[in-house]
Amino acid sequence: MIKHLKRIYMGLVILFLYLPIIVLVVSSFNNSKILGKWDGFTLDWYKELFNNASIMNALKTTLILALMASVIATALGTLASLTINKMKRSTRSVVMSITNIPMLNAEIVTALAFMLLFVGLGISLNFATVLIAHVTFCIPYALLNIYPKVRQMDNNMYEAALDLGASSAQAFFKVTLPEIMPGIMSGFLMSFTMSLDDFIITHFTRGSGIDTLSTKIYTEVRKGIKPEMYALSTLLFVTVFVLLLLINRTPNEEKRRKKLAKGKKSHATLAMGMCIVLIISAVGYISFRDDSNYIGDVYVYNWGEYIDPEVIALFEEETGYKVHYEEFETNEEMYTIIANGARNYDVICPSDYMIEKMIDTDLLAPLDYNAIPNIKNIGSEYMESATGFDPGNRYSVPYCWGTVGICYNTTMIDEEVNSWSILFDEKYSGSILMQASVRDAYCVALSYLGYSINTLDEMQLKEATNLLISQKPLVQAYVIDQVRDKMIKNTAALSVIYSGEAIYMQEENPDLEYVVPDEGSNVWIDGWVIPKNSENKEAALAWINFMCDPNIALMNFNEITYSTPNIAARDLIEDEYIRNSQIAFPGESVLSRCEVYNYLGKDGDALYDGYWTKVGTAASE
Amino acid sequence: MNKAQKRNALLSGPYIFWIVLFIIIPLLFVFYYGFTDGNGHFTMDNILSIAKPEYYKALVLSLVLAVISTLICLLIAYPLALILRNTKISKKNFIIFVFILPMWMNFLLRTYAWQAILDINGVLDSFLAMFGLPSANIINTPAAIVLGMVYDFLPFMVLPIHNVLVKIDDNTINAARDLGANYFQTLRKVIIPLSYAGISSGIIMVFVPSLTTFVISDILGGGKLLLIGNIVENKVKADNLNLGAGLSLILMIFIVINMVVSMKMDSGIEEDAMLPTDKSSKVGGK
Repeated sequence: MIKHLKRIYMGLVILFLYLPIIVLVVSSFNNSKILGKWDGFTLDWYKELFNNASIMNALKTTLILALMASVIATALGTLASLTINKMKRSTRSVVMSITNIPMLNAEIVTALAFMLLFVGLGISLNFATVLIAHVTFCIPYALLNIYPKVRQMDNNMYEAALDLGASSAQAFFKVTLPEIMPGIMSGFLMSFTMSLDDFIITHFTRGSGIDTLSTKIYTEVRKGIKPEMYALSTLLFVTVFVLLLLINRTPNEEKRRKKLAKGKKSHATLAMGMCIVLIISAVGYISFRDDSNYIGDVYVYNWGEYIDPEVIALFEEETGYKVHYEEFETNEEMYTIIANGARNYDVICPSDYMIEKMIDTDLLAPLDYNAIPNIKNIGSEYMESATGFDPGNRYSVPYCWGTVGICYNTTMIDEEVNSWSILFDEKYSGSILMQASVRDAYCVALSYLGYSINTLDEMQLKEATNLLISQKPLVQAYVIDQVRDKMIKNTAALSVIYSGEAIYMQEENPDLEYVVPDEGSNVWIDGWVIPKNSENKEAALAWINFMCDPNIALMNFNEITYSTPNIAARDLIEDEYIRNSQIAFPGESVLSRCEVYNYLGKDGDALYDGYWTKVGTAASE
Repeated sequence: MNKAQKRNALLSGPYIFWIVLFIIIPLLFVFYYGFTDGNGHFTMDNILSIAKPEYYKALVLSLVLAVISTLICLLIAYPLALILRNTKISKKNFIIFVFILPMWMNFLLRTYAWQAILDINGVLDSFLAMFGLPSANIINTPAAIVLGMVYDFLPFMVLPIHNVLVKIDDNTINAARDLGANYFQTLRKVIIPLSYAGISSGIIMVFVPSLTTFVISDILGGGKLLLIGNIVENKVKADNLNLGAGLSLILMIFIVINMVVSMKMDSGIEEDAMLPTDKSSKVGGK
């Protein structure tokens, strides 16, 4: 009876540990892109995985990084274990405590410490910085496995080898090393695993163009992770599972122990060897695919899912530049990276007020319009409104534009939606999704209260803050791009969203409707800019020009459904309904009640940020 | 200093250099940023801002959730480790197998999968609906965050406890039983005191990441519940590195307190408490 209870208990814990893994494995065979919504069996994601250059590159970076970090950490850890053992007790305990700091300290503090070190020394983040960080946090795990083996070792064996005429190098390689090898092996494996699974430290220390699987997934979480990622994870998981099975395939009998110990070692070595061969061949396979008409690199920093991936491939094909494409989630996050010189990019796509801020803080290079002949395709009215944040259009070229409004599910809401007030209606408690970015959240509250969305009046801001705090118990979640999947899945009834998402959402779920409330809202323009410290401005200009090509702009529009300022592209839209859509291309009646965000100055930003934190930590019940 | 000592000092050089440069100096930078404002002038404002209600509340919430999830981890892990100690399959490899293997599936993905499971109309709800049960409705609540923490950090509690439990000599336990102690007395007077080292390292390994996570609260809390880790991350994102560093220093205080308390519990953490015991190599070695 008790035995059964024990089994059941263990079974439950294991089920708990493996439940999400089962969900992910199942999702890799799911026809639907949305996690948790089954739509038939498919193997497509496995096929597409190998054609997805960005995932393959992230895999390559992850594997190289983990391999290098764990080899260096294991080597340093071995050296440290051997020498620490011979130190005086007091010195030893000091060295050990320092070593353990990265393991015991909060990951976010360690990550921040590294970032401050590199930024403080004026080193822009690159592969070396993230490697150094990984080595450092892997060392304690390596040491943890190696040091006890060194302590267990009988020093007389080494001495005996020396007495018998071995040189100290021979004695080390023939006696010491084999003795501590199991520790080194498990230290290496542990380091490799930790490096592979790390997110936070990589997130803070990686350079531009360096995406690991973790950082890639984190940016993808917003818009729904691409199912190829589940396929890749399943493959990785199964590979490791098989390797570990190989290592662990050991007979049970006690009397065969000795034989087993020997056999196990060869199994472990075999598995380790296979592991390394697999990694190298994977890396080799990925690198081999790199194309040949390469003439340089261009580092692009854009919003999440804000381009047709085909366009990147076409650009590479046509120009010969290798594109390193990365995504950000909020303007503010992007600004921190650029302003601190943490990572360098050649071309970025911020929003209006952020472009103004970047001009103001002298981060941008003026554009050479001779290199952007396609600018003629951009409608003059959009160039005109862009002068509001970029006087004389010197620094930016409009890419997409739109409004902020309410998306609602007509099956769940039976009244007419035309006011922000519905977002504060207790009737819809638990069914409201709010935007998690400062400016958009305040846009809702300030517009509803009848104030300007650029106000710096403390009284008005306080009122808006109190309104947002009182709304908090009604809100299901504060999200950014996840609004999309949640609304499609009928998880919520009401949400604040950008017009560009609404068209896509309607295609997926016809019950959804989009409206710009009567009180007014925000109209925004995102534009391409080139940072001052770009190392390849020529490539950046080529990129911008390529984006202004009508056919390319059309491809992007069809993929991301955000309104294009490209008049020539709009004329090419086949679907008449979309071409005349009031959501994608609202008329003057809507635009006249919308306001553009302005840069509020450093103090203004801090003011909004301070109030927003108050909303964030207010009680949600 | 004799020749061997000199050589040892020389050999340890690269390692000492590394840990000073990449462990000590970065921490000094955190102190520097934490105690200065944007223009490099000394200030206490960053540290003192923890007294503001919005930061203070986030810290309290983080502490509460971290304590709860550490306790739950301990309550799940200890019986499990006891069971594993007494079963034949308690070979070290099996344990590593079961608890390390999930780590090869990216932890962000695993946490995200929990979101899909717990979400409104999600996997769990559909499952409950099959039996006519009402929805669980725990997504975007503190309970969901605790679940995420327990899920992600449970292995770090199980492994150290398991490692000390398998090291306890069966004879010690048998002696207690022979002397008349019943199972629970043996557990309370013998087994648990002998496993303090594992418990204390387990507590550290779970409490610290729970206290400071921002990813789990982000994915499972729906942005409604900001933990102190979220605040630090947001400050860094909003280009306020100084405030981020100041709040990190506050976090470090709590981590140090936690470590001191855990070490008191067991006078000195065993250096190899996390280490899987390797009986087979001992057989060969001595």
